[in-house]
Amino acid sequence: MTTRLVDESLFENGEFHGEDPPRLAGARCSACATVVFPRQNSCPRCPEGTMAAHVLPARGRVWSWTLQAFPPKPPYRPPSGGHRPYHVGYVDLGDVLVEALLAVARAEIRIGLPVRLTTVPAYRDEDGTEVVTFAFRPERDGER
Amino acid sequence: MSRADDVYVVGCGMHPFGRDESVTGMDMAERAVREALADAGVAWGDIGYAAGGSDVSGKPDTLVGRLGLTGVPFVNVQNGCATGASTVLAVANALRAGEACLGVAVGFDKHERGAFHVSPARYGLGDWYAETGMMLTTQFFALKTRRYLYEHGISERALAMVAARAFRNGSHHPLAWRRKPLTEQEILDSAEVSPPLTQYMFCSPGQGAAALVLALGDRAFDLCERPVRLASLAFRTRRFGSFEVFSPWLPPGPHRSPSVDAAEAVFRTAGVRPADVQVAQLQDTDSGSELVHLAETGLCGHGEQEELLAAGATDPTGRIPVNTDGGCLAGGEPVGASGLRQFHEVVRQLQGRAPGLQVPGAPRVGFTHVYGAPGISACSVLTA
Repeated sequence: MTTRLVDESLFENGEFHGEDPPRLAGARCSACATVVFPRQNSCPRCPEGTMAAHVLPARGRVWSWTLQAFPPKPPYRPPSGGHRPYHVGYVDLGDVLVEALLAVARAEIRIGLPVRLTTVPAYRDEDGTEVVTFAFRPERDGER
Repeated sequence: MSRADDVYVVGCGMHPFGRDESVTGMDMAERAVREALADAGVAWGDIGYAAGGSDVSGKPDTLVGRLGLTGVPFVNVQNGCATGASTVLAVANALRAGEACLGVAVGFDKHERGAFHVSPARYGLGDWYAETGMMLTTQFFALKTRRYLYEHGISERALAMVAARAFRNGSHHPLAWRRKPLTEQEILDSAEVSPPLTQYMFCSPGQGAAALVLALGDRAFDLCERPVRLASLAFRTRRFGSFEVFSPWLPPGPHRSPSVDAAEAVFRTAGVRPADVQVAQLQDTDSGSELVHLAETGLCGHGEQEELLAAGATDPTGRIPVNTDGGCLAGGEPVGASGLRQFHEVVRQLQGRAPGLQVPGAPRVGFTHVYGAPGISACSVLTA
């Protein structure tokens, strides 16, 4: 079975090998240091700078969270087993807050929870390719 | 500014909000306009300028085929939740510029059941954002509310108080959709949608239409016994650092909403303070939004909301009555009509002829506020 990333432009290295999750790549403004995600060619804050690719930290803290209880309408593509309620939130990565799926159990989820970048299955292509996307999971003891 | 340059609301009309398969968006819009014209005691042929808005239910200017082919200039507006306010702004500016002395603003919509359809391309986003299940307005409202409650030490019960008041007010309003009062506990115990928000803390996309007749200067007083003055209207888009719907990323805080900018501008121009407001409309797509907007517009301080709600200060008999018609929570949200519903309710309150619960003591200063994607807000001050 082959696997691919949902959108290569979101990641530092577009190839997925199934080992360490690929790092997220945004862009940083040379003038005002604003960090955006995904990358874009102009700065939303100032007219002076140029934007260069910027790899985001793999660790952060949950800034806000919620649950998606009902199945979203298309263009949402459910995982192969169908929609199951999932958590989403913003993760504070220091220079930027990134919206992401949160692979965190309800009992554990809270604002301030230390989390680490991972990948989770998103959906399956018509040809059977497993499509994965980025997510954050709780940081385990000893990972820091 | 002298009275001659002032714009007044001299008539208003509204098709009941809700769900009625027997009428189209255009049917409702026509009825709202005819009602507004009758209310002002004028004919469609007297109207010198018109603006109309709808998100999904057709081109508003085709209404001339029903109302009369008079050649009137008619501007179409599609401005998300600020659609209604934008139609009022377009007509008011045309009147002040001397284009006409009588104008009509109309808004209508009829949405499908369930959450709004989204298109990532329309918002300049990659398909991945919607495909992976992050492009939902309901999630945004929950995420913003969760963070707000955390930062300001507000309990989830406050969210239920907002919804309970909305349905209580709606139960007295003949044009509202949801007219069954619900207890705070019923609201808290309803199905979880996106915590901390439950099913009854969210409004539903629905259908409806509302229209206003606006008049310039002395003409308003010829037509109407109690014209309501549009003291000011301000419309703003987001600036850097705001926390908006459909944002794959945010800058680190503090986050400043376009609602703050629009409210500050509208109060400054009108020469009134938030404390002077005696009847207010706030965008309440969900309980959390109303809670946040109470403070963002300056009607109270951040973190004061729970105490105000518990004390009944936002009830029709309170110090600062909010959403006296039940707002979006009780009315549903037909995007194009929602902003004009707010005007309709505030105008009728200031004229002392509210369709539902009347704010006692002859209120003289009214306020409206809308907020929507992708980071827009419009506020108005209306005075009796």
